Amino acid sequence: MKNVILLTIDALRKDALGCYGNKDGLTPFIDSLQGECIRFTRGQATGPYTQASFPGILTSSYYLEYGKPKGLSPQRTLISEPLKRAGIATAAFHSNPYLCDFLGWNRGWDFFYDSMDDDVSPQMPYIKGNVINAKVTEWLSSYSAAGDSKPFFLWLHYMDIHEPYTPEKKYVDMVDSSITISQDEMYSMFQNTLLKRDVSNPEKVTLLKKLYDIHVREVDTYVQNFFNTLEKLGILKDSVVIITNDHGDEFNEHGGLSHDDKMYSELIDMPLIIYGRDKNGTCDTLVSNIDIAPTIVYLFDLDPVEKFEGLSLFPLDAYPEKGCFGEAIDQKAQRGGDIEKDSYFYREKDLKIICHACTDKWELYDLKQDPNEVNNIIDTSPDTERLRGKLKPRIRRWLS
Amino acid sequence: MAQLTKMNERRKVTEQEKKKKCAELVSKSKEVIRETFRNFNPIDTAITWTGGKDSTTNLWIIRQVCTEDNIDLPKVMTIDEGDAFPEITDFLIKTSKKWNIDLQWLCNFDVLKSAMSHLGNTVKVKDLNKRNQAELERIGSKEDSFTFEAESQQGNHLMKTVMFNQFVEENNIKAMFMALRRDEQAARKSDEYFTKKESGYLMPEHTRVSAILHFTERDIWNTTKLYNIPYCSLYEIGYRSLGARTTSNPGEVGVPAWEQDIENVPERAGRRQDKEKAMERMRQLGYM
Repeated sequence: MKNVILLTIDALRKDALGCYGNKDGLTPFIDSLQGECIRFTRGQATGPYTQASFPGILTSSYYLEYGKPKGLSPQRTLISEPLKRAGIATAAFHSNPYLCDFLGWNRGWDFFYDSMDDDVSPQMPYIKGNVINAKVTEWLSSYSAAGDSKPFFLWLHYMDIHEPYTPEKKYVDMVDSSITISQDEMYSMFQNTLLKRDVSNPEKVTLLKKLYDIHVREVDTYVQNFFNTLEKLGILKDSVVIITNDHGDEFNEHGGLSHDDKMYSELIDMPLIIYGRDKNGTCDTLVSNIDIAPTIVYLFDLDPVEKFEGLSLFPLDAYPEKGCFGEAIDQKAQRGGDIEKDSYFYREKDLKIICHACTDKWELYDLKQDPNEVNNIIDTSPDTERLRGKLKPRIRRWLS
Repeated sequence: MAQLTKMNERRKVTEQEKKKKCAELVSKSKEVIRETFRNFNPIDTAITWTGGKDSTTNLWIIRQVCTEDNIDLPKVMTIDEGDAFPEITDFLIKTSKKWNIDLQWLCNFDVLKSAMSHLGNTVKVKDLNKRNQAELERIGSKEDSFTFEAESQQGNHLMKTVMFNQFVEENNIKAMFMALRRDEQAARKSDEYFTKKESGYLMPEHTRVSAILHFTERDIWNTTKLYNIPYCSLYEIGYRSLGARTTSNPGEVGVPAWEQDIENVPERAGRRQDKEKAMERMRQLGYM
C-alpha cells in the first residue's frame, strides 16, 4: 500500500500554473510532472478563503454545515482521525493560523506542527516553505529510519503565496529582474493598496499581481525540493502525492483584491494534480475539494467514512457526474458575529449560480461563453429556476 | 492476606520505578546544564523564573548543579507583566528568600505608567518612550492606541518580549535557561535542548537552553513531590497552567493539578494566550 501525501498551497490560483494554461513559466517543476499524474481540469473549492475551504479538504464537509463556525466543530471528522484509528502514521506541517491547534485542527495527528510558537515577522507572517520542507524532511527521515512497515499520511501546506507579497530578490530575478522595489516598499503596497482593497490604480494592481506571480515561482522550487527529498529517501515511488490549493486570489477581476467572500473563478477554481497512480492524463469531470478526503480513504483501502460528504475520485470511471457547492460569509460581518452576509454557489457543468442571501441577489454565469463571469444571465437563462431550486435548500439550512 | 501483601509489594515497586524515573529525568537535565556551563561562562547565562511549576523545577535543578560543581548561580529574572497573581508574587518572594536568590524583577514601567497600572485602560502610543514605539512598529502595530491587557498583541510584546530582549542585551547574556517542555504542544515534539536565536532589529543574539524539555506535566509533579520542590498554592486549588491573572483559569476547580486528568485534558485549556497568538497572525496576514 502506498503512502499518501497531501500538498496544499495557500492562495494559489489555478491559472497561475503552466499546466493549466499560464504562459509565464512560473511553475516549471509542477508542469514537468504532467506525464506522471492525473490532472483534474474542473476542480472547485468549497469556499473562497481558508476557513471556508479547508473543512472541505480535510473534513469533507461544508463550511456552514454546523451553523456559525467557531473553530473546528467536534461534529466534523478530520481525515487524520479515521486514518490514525486504522494504524496509519499521520503528520501535519503548516503555518496557517486558521488551522492551528487552538481552533481544533490538531485532532488525530501523530505529529502536528502549526508554527504558532515560532517567531515570524510582519513582512512574512508565516513559516516559509523551505522551513516547512526541513521539518517534513526531519519527520520523514525518522520515519524511514524507524523502518516502520505501516504507511503514512502526510499533509503539508505552503503559505508563501499568501499576502503580504514580499518576495526575496533571488525569486524576483527569476521572474522579472526589472522589478527593483525593496521588500519594505512591497510591504507598504500591502498596507496601502491591498489591505484597502484599492484598485483605482491599474499599475499598482499589475505590480501586485507580478509580486504574487514571483511567490508562485518561489513555491514551485519548494515543491521541487520536496519531491527531491522524497526521491532521495526512496519514498517517492511508494507514495501518491495530491497537489491542490485552498482558494485563489483576486486582482481586480471583480472589483477587489485578495480573497474575500466572492464566488468567482479566480477564487473558486481549484487545481488538482494526483501524482503516483498507474493511469495518467487529464480528467474533465467536475470535482470538488470535498472529494479529496474520501479519495485518501480509498487510497488506503479503508471503508468510506460515513460523515464525509464527498466521493472518492477513484476509480475514475465510477465517479459520477455531479454538481459542486460552496459557501462563505463576508469576513468583516463574521467578525462582528453576524452570519447574515452569507453567499452560496452551485455549479453544474458550465453553469454557475450564486446567491447573496442577505440581499437575495442572484447571479448566473455560463462559464463556457463567459469565462470571466461578467455577463449575469439570471433573468434570461432557461436554467435559472432549476439551478435556483438546487441552491435554495442550502441557504441558511442550519436554521431549520 | 497474601493477596494484600502482594498488592503492597507491587505498589512499592511502582513507587521505586517512579523514583528511578525522576532521578533519570533530573540527571538528563543536569547533563544539559553542565554542557551549557562548558560552552558558556556561567556569568554570561541567566535563568527565567515565572514562579510556575516548570520554571521552578528548572531552577531547582540548576541550583543543584551549581552547588555540586561549585559554580555561582547565574542571574535569575522574572517578568512582571502588570497582571500577576498575588499568590505567584508571594511565592517568588518566599522562595527566593529560602533559596537565597537575588531575583531581578523586570517590568516595563513606561507602559504601566501610560496605562496608570490599570488593566483595560487605553495606552496612547505617542505617550510611550522611543524604544517601546519602535518595538510596536517592529511588530507591525499601526494603531495610535491599544488597550492594556497583558496577553493582547501589543501588551504581550511590550510587557514580556521587550523586557526579555532588553535584559539579554543589557546583561550581555549569551545563554538563557528557559523551562519549555516538549509535551506542552505537539509542535514542540521536535524541539531541541539548545536553540540559537539569531540577532535582528532590537533582538540580541542568544541561545535558549531548555533543560527540562523531556519532562512531561506528570513528570514535573512526580519530581516536585519526590524532592519536595516548592510550588505555588494556586496549583492546589485547580490551576494547571499559570499565565496572567485575567487570562488563566483553573482546570478542575478545587482539584489539585496533580490529581487532575493530566493525560487527557489539555494543560493550557485555561489560557487565552494561544488565541491571542492566532489572532495576531491573522492580523498580520491582513484579516483584521
